Amino acid sequence: MIINTENEGNIIILSLSGRLDTMHFPLVDKELASLIEKNNKEIVLDCKDLDYISSSGLRVLLKALKQMEAGKGRLTICNLQPQIAQIFKISGFDRLFEIYPAKKEAVASYL
Amino acid sequence: MAVYINHKDPASGDLVKILNKIPPCPGTCIFIDLVESTGIKYKKGVGHWGRLINNTFNFISILNDFPENIVKGIGDELMIYIPDEMLAKKESLTNHYSIIEELYSTLLNIKSFPAKNLFMDCKIAMHYCSNVYNITFLKGYNDYYGKDIDMAARLMSKSGKNRIVFSEAFYQKAKEDLLSLNIPEEYTCLAQKSELVSENFKGIPFPVVYRTIDA
Repeated sequence: MIINTENEGNIIILSLSGRLDTMHFPLVDKELASLIEKNNKEIVLDCKDLDYISSSGLRVLLKALKQMEAGKGRLTICNLQPQIAQIFKISGFDRLFEIYPAKKEAVASYL
Repeated sequence: MAVYINHKDPASGDLVKILNKIPPCPGTCIFIDLVESTGIKYKKGVGHWGRLINNTFNFISILNDFPENIVKGIGDELMIYIPDEMLAKKESLTNHYSIIEELYSTLLNIKSFPAKNLFMDCKIAMHYCSNVYNITFLKGYNDYYGKDIDMAARLMSKSGKNRIVFSEAFYQKAKEDLLSLNIPEEYTCLAQKSELVSENFKGIPFPVVYRTIDA
């Protein structure tokens, strides 16, 4: 799992690459927790290079979403690969998150 | 695939010899049951019940990761058996720790899911089995028998809504995985484990030790 962070103004873009599973979810959990703790209110998760997500990965995203919403912030997701989009659909997570086809649209949603 | 056992001579001593020669098939046995499923069927109808079963089974990611390891299902209760040999060959979830972490996450995701009336809560029992054999008495079926399968089934009586009950044998396996992966237990679901409980179960001539995790 590789995590890259970049900024576009106040918007934080977290790019996830690899597999978000039981081996790697603590890394993403820690990174998201740190960003939320620093009071970042606008976070985009770019999943262009995310190949796999397991229940533990979904758990981390749900936890972050709830924390963001509690702090009046917004966590959005973009660039889901078809197999990840399918997991989001069957688990109902597509109804919980704002999902955009590309980073551009996700970023624009905050402007 | 299971060794098919079918001898026509009930007095044959050969069958016992054959059975004694079958090698054990160590692995993890998991029972998953949906809580209050029967009640929902009666109160809200089979259509609603079926929808919830469909949604919940889709949600339990381990069923998608190990489709060939679902041994049997009776309505809303499933038995899954994952031989160590198969676990090691998987692309993801290659160890015992990962199995329980995934199951715990599934329970937590269902419990925390913001929309209501889409899923059923689950209860789970797991045991690491040494005394288990991949045999079947029914042609064309895959099955597992052994003293440890009985123990896994007995543990289910100690589970409950959003709870995983797991034997100490399973915990030790998961702990070994964490050590070899250099993952501190405090970062995992095992940090939530209960104290060790020792209890006698019907038909098992010694106390069974187990722990629980509540999501």
